Amino acid sequence: MKIMKLLGSIGLVASAALALSACGNKSNNASNQNAAKEKFPEAVPTKPKKNGGTLKVAIETDTPFKGIFEDTLSNDAIDSTVAQYGDESLFHSDKNYNIDNKGACTFKLNYKAKTITIKIKKGVKWSDGKNVVAKDIEYPYEIMASPKSGSARYTSSIADIKGIAAFRAGKAKTISGIEMPNGANGNTVILHFNQMHPGMNMIGSGYFWKSAAPYHYLKNVPMSKLESSDQVRKSPLFFGPYKISKIVSGQSVTWVPNKYYWKGKPHISKIVESVISTDSAAQAIKSHKFDIIDVPNTQWSQVKNTKGYHFVATIPLSYNYLAFKVGKYDKKTGKNVMNKNSKMNNKALRQAIAYAMNIDQVEKKYTDGLTFRVDTLIPKSFGKYYDSSIKGYNYNLKKANQLLNKAGYKKKGTYRVQPNGKPLTIHLAAMSGSSEQEAIIQNYIQQWKKIGLNVKLTTGRLIEFNSFYDKIENDSPDVDMFLGSWSLAAEPSQADLYGETAPFNYSRFVTKRNTQLINEIDSSKAMNDNYRRKVLYEWQKYMFNEAYVVPTTNSYSITAVNSKLTGYSEKNGTTLGWNDVAFVK
Amino acid sequence: MWKTVLRRLLIMIPQLIVLSIIVFALAKMMPGDPFTGLVNPNTDPKEIIRLKREAGLYDPLWVQYGRWVNNLFHGNLGTSYIQKVPVASLIADRAVNTFWLSLLTVILTYLIAVPMGIAAGRYEGKWKDIVISAFNYITFAIPGFVIYILGLWLFGYVLGWFPISGSVSGSASGFWGVLGSRIYHMILPAVLVAIISTTGIVQYLKIGISDNKVEDYVKTARSKGVPEKVVFNKHILRNSLLPIAAFFGNTITGLLSGSVIIETIFSYPGMGQLFMNSVQQRDYTTLTALILIYGILTLIGNLLSDIIMSIVDPRIRIQ
Repeated sequence: MKIMKLLGSIGLVASAALALSACGNKSNNASNQNAAKEKFPEAVPTKPKKNGGTLKVAIETDTPFKGIFEDTLSNDAIDSTVAQYGDESLFHSDKNYNIDNKGACTFKLNYKAKTITIKIKKGVKWSDGKNVVAKDIEYPYEIMASPKSGSARYTSSIADIKGIAAFRAGKAKTISGIEMPNGANGNTVILHFNQMHPGMNMIGSGYFWKSAAPYHYLKNVPMSKLESSDQVRKSPLFFGPYKISKIVSGQSVTWVPNKYYWKGKPHISKIVESVISTDSAAQAIKSHKFDIIDVPNTQWSQVKNTKGYHFVATIPLSYNYLAFKVGKYDKKTGKNVMNKNSKMNNKALRQAIAYAMNIDQVEKKYTDGLTFRVDTLIPKSFGKYYDSSIKGYNYNLKKANQLLNKAGYKKKGTYRVQPNGKPLTIHLAAMSGSSEQEAIIQNYIQQWKKIGLNVKLTTGRLIEFNSFYDKIENDSPDVDMFLGSWSLAAEPSQADLYGETAPFNYSRFVTKRNTQLINEIDSSKAMNDNYRRKVLYEWQKYMFNEAYVVPTTNSYSITAVNSKLTGYSEKNGTTLGWNDVAFVK
Repeated sequence: MWKTVLRRLLIMIPQLIVLSIIVFALAKMMPGDPFTGLVNPNTDPKEIIRLKREAGLYDPLWVQYGRWVNNLFHGNLGTSYIQKVPVASLIADRAVNTFWLSLLTVILTYLIAVPMGIAAGRYEGKWKDIVISAFNYITFAIPGFVIYILGLWLFGYVLGWFPISGSVSGSASGFWGVLGSRIYHMILPAVLVAIISTTGIVQYLKIGISDNKVEDYVKTARSKGVPEKVVFNKHILRNSLLPIAAFFGNTITGLLSGSVIIETIFSYPGMGQLFMNSVQQRDYTTLTALILIYGILTLIGNLLSDIIMSIVDPRIRIQ
């Protein structure tokens, strides 16, 4: 649904368990219309509405939700999901993720003056009846920039706002680059930037913040106490369609209509969200315990014939990938350093490994087609930025063998040796996850054996999430390649994931050409959209060809919606929000 | 006796110090830290480093340990890295939930087990004993989680008699409403745990009764013409309860430790679930505090058991 713009800005979150990424992604509002139409609708049918009724919603998590209900302080996808009925974004975006003027605020970019002007629409009020004012838009920046708040949101992109660095260092009492032309209680905020960037008009860009904080409500709480305060944890204030009437810490939240909501009073008289364990989702659906509940893909086959639900799905902005370790991150210089002589630094070897993966067969067998192969590192959902001409690494053992032969990986017995004659053992790190994960990984190891490659699991088994990222982040020498997953922001810049200085460039590859292309994607020239698209196409082709990182799969994210409900849509760019959801007359 | 209790309490101090060092070191040896997975590429890595430094994660281990102990003596268990609230209040919240669930469980366990044990011992070899023994073997053989999941599936989902998760319904209001909802949420997990925890009590009781039945003092009582009912309740039963009293101290302190398995399956926010999550999320402060509490509880439990034993069995005097 349109509801959760915010997560777009949360950006890329490494997702451990599939369930976790499914929850988070759902709210990303990132869907691919064409692909989703093939299998699932993205919205429930429109029918006449009635007022009233109690909506029961499941929060699927195996840990109680934290309940930090201030976006600048929370890093948690579950908390955002929990808060979505009240925590509305300031902005609305269209199907291309561009911010338009249909949200609570209007948005105006001025590249020449290097400003963004945000105007709050008339009638936008907090649920206590007070107006949302300029200071409420400015305050999140103070929270992010205050070292005492514990916020992890202060980024180099945010630091591009004029004066925010001085404020953070304690040299200024206010942020000089945030102008409130008609006062703190006015309706306008002008953000002044040191530099403008392409993609600044996109909902997923990280240069400015997309939600407001109720200053009048929070101002008496010291920054260091904010994240444990009752104002944030027990009785948070929002301006969205519903307001919180009760929180049972970590377990459930009850919402009632916000009578001051700027688009009018919503239809449903009560929303009760409660936590259930992900494992019991299928049972909960079959016994109709909830009106809206996510379907974990592994449980789809159990519930797909359940009557009384519409199954709605989107394709999240994310991908799983196979990446090769070819270097190290130098913490001192903050740069990735590629090792030309590393084992995996051979294009033919990497390509052969990718060609030997029978992804289509595997996903058909294990996931009922809910997971599918992707070809390029820009997901299809990005529309115009997605290069459809890239065919990806289709399963082709013959080609894989040819590539290896040509590159000098000769066979000695069962396995091939390196071109320099040394034996070749490749260590694969993979995270533990669903019950099928082990079988899937073993299948790939068999496939690689077929082309004569000796692939072994790092540590001999699948690795738990924390240990996995510990190894990957610290460039552990016992990892030659690894299977990871990214959830993306709705902005196609690649610098944070694959740039020379990006710590998240886990494969640590740095090439002149790549650095040039990545800089070009974010250059001032790329403010011309056609040019940006052209460079993104070139980058996709380059990445496909070099195969340092090979995208493998993406999956549908399915929600079961009671068929007595109407007005629910996960369509990208829809203006339908929670205030439009109602029971059928 | 009070001297002994005092001495036992003093011995607990070095035990706890050793325990706390082990706990602290083991927690830090786990791969990753609370900031692992907080990988948000929009986040400046310098920011994460700053957050880690502020959390003191770069200090040498002994400095971290010293700070932790120092805070401990000021009654400060620290702030949870993950939940961002003081650990003490976090644990207090959960301990209340766990306490009531465990109390109900213990009461139910004894209500089921004691009559069963008595019946089995009294009618040894008769059909009652055979049925009870069969029940015992079956519940002992089946792992807890199987029964829990089966029970949740049958009574929670299929029949829909009981809630499937949580400790209280979000829509409950008013004192009685909330209390009712809390009890309603506890019934199913408590009954399930009680059913499979009876084995020990039933067996001890049964063996105790069948052993005591043939003791000389029972024969004497019978030959004196003491009514059978009195012989049984006064002479046999009292002596047969001794082995159960032996672990009653730990039962009392166990009310606070909670069960990882039942709380995880029923998404019941108690101590066991908190412990599990803290391990998974590397929430060091919560984790170390919890293990320390468990340690203290166990030591106190043992002490209590000894004291109880000395009270119920005059032959035993702790020296």
